[in-house]
Amino acid sequence: MHEEIKNTPLHDWHLSHGANMAVFGGYDMPLWYPSGAKKEHLTVLTNAGIFDTSHMAVIMVTGTDAFELLQMCFTKDLNACVGKKKAPLKPGKCVYGAYLNERGELIDDAIVSQIEHNIYMIVVNAGMGGDVTRHMIDHAGLRDVETIDLTDKIGKIDIQGPMAAGILMNVLKEPEEVFDEMFYFTFKGHFDSTSTFAGTVSLTDGTPLLLSRTGYTGEFGFEIFVNPDHLIGTWEMILAAGKKYDLIPCGLAARDSLRAGALLPLSHQDIGPWPFVNHRWLFTLPYNDDGTDFTKKFIGAEALHNIEESEHTCAFAGYDLRKVSTHDPAAYVLDAAGNEIGTVLTCVSDMAIGRYGDRIYSISSPDKPEGFNPKGLCCGFVKVKPKLLPGQIVELKDNRRKIKVMIVDDIRPDRTARRPIKEMLKT
Amino acid sequence: MKEISDLILPDDVRYAEDHEWARPESEKVRVGIDDYAQDQLGDIVFVELPQVGDTLEKDEVFGTVESVKAVSELYMPIGGEILAVNTALEEFPELLNSDPYDDGWMIDVIPSDPDDWDALMTKDAYIEALKGGK
Repeated sequence: MHEEIKNTPLHDWHLSHGANMAVFGGYDMPLWYPSGAKKEHLTVLTNAGIFDTSHMAVIMVTGTDAFELLQMCFTKDLNACVGKKKAPLKPGKCVYGAYLNERGELIDDAIVSQIEHNIYMIVVNAGMGGDVTRHMIDHAGLRDVETIDLTDKIGKIDIQGPMAAGILMNVLKEPEEVFDEMFYFTFKGHFDSTSTFAGTVSLTDGTPLLLSRTGYTGEFGFEIFVNPDHLIGTWEMILAAGKKYDLIPCGLAARDSLRAGALLPLSHQDIGPWPFVNHRWLFTLPYNDDGTDFTKKFIGAEALHNIEESEHTCAFAGYDLRKVSTHDPAAYVLDAAGNEIGTVLTCVSDMAIGRYGDRIYSISSPDKPEGFNPKGLCCGFVKVKPKLLPGQIVELKDNRRKIKVMIVDDIRPDRTARRPIKEMLKT
Repeated sequence: MKEISDLILPDDVRYAEDHEWARPESEKVRVGIDDYAQDQLGDIVFVELPQVGDTLEKDEVFGTVESVKAVSELYMPIGGEILAVNTALEEFPELLNSDPYDDGWMIDVIPSDPDDWDALMTKDAYIEALKGGK
């Protein structure tokens, strides 16, 4: 697939800071830095971590028919997707959903941000900018819309953790104004200095940013989009300001364990080219109030309606941190009678959680037991033939061990992603 | 990631292709994983070791190390009977990262075949093997 391995503009920085690198999505990316993946994972819960996520792709969709094209290609109903009341998407708001093919199978998951009337920014996974752009162009027909793949043309930094806003206070121009009404899944500013929105968010040195209250860790924080020429400067400025908060750079290993504990899927691993049904992320589909139909037509909708039987994707948590290996060869799910009922999609250790009595606590749980010092729990997702219910016990089996795990509704408790910014600024 | 020149590779041990080290100590041979292995694995969070008294062949699996990211198997650099295991690793698996050649030792083996030792690499041969593998 990938002819060459790509680098982000921070590649030299990662190497010179001792990162252990690996290829992900066609990019040579840091897995962890010398502080280690465990510390990185824990620091995102207690302080904050900074991630180079410039491997992710940005697509801009503009034109009078941009909305119509997105309504057809993206699973969320942009007329009814914001908040509990399902308000229409509007400038400054973003929404998480998916792109499906005609068979109702995932192409990729994405966050769509409305920049202004007729202008949308789409963020997809590493290496997927081309595929999703082509998919949209193929379906645009004669519509007045332009879809531009900005792969490698936008730098992206995630700062995640309870101290993220406190750290950014030190590097942003007029931070109080920026943080005012900056709710979960809203954004401000623009990375393009020629945009009318550039300037609403900028660094103290004038670098324009698009600052979005989103992320992939389950914890409070931001995704920052910036011109790649300013990526290294922005990264170093935030790290310097974060020093007194013990901000550390974090790699993809911590990102993976954090997101799994937060029940966030990895595209092409937990969701992928199979029917996009019977999983934990049905909120990405535009169901009506009683869940009987969709509120709009979109690519894949008909196939989803007609699917009679498909496997179920469920979350699990183990009883200690031991994992099974999910690749080469695959790991299997066994029911109580020892029958193979499916495969393991993700299996990682969330190092911030542990079982105490009959529930899971996190190091961030306000009601954690005294002296709570968890060793971590294995967790992730399985895809199985029968529908499993929370509380059911299954075994995961790879070529060297079997481990007992429980099907669960949630994994790492007391996550901070949705907490009000004002509250987080006090920590 | 450490450059080969940054790796700590003591002279008093010999090395296996799978990155275990072996150090003769009178009648027994002490075994662990080397600096290259711990650097590649990252934070080690769990270790499984054999029972004292088990007899294992050279290249047989004697346990696993679990990092945050992956589970890896450990292979006997020499065959023999397990005389002792480092039980401290149950509570403090991070010793494998912080002190792989001393406090992070894994097993003591009574060797069954002296030829096994001769097949292991000296530091210089091991460095050449690492360079070849890169």
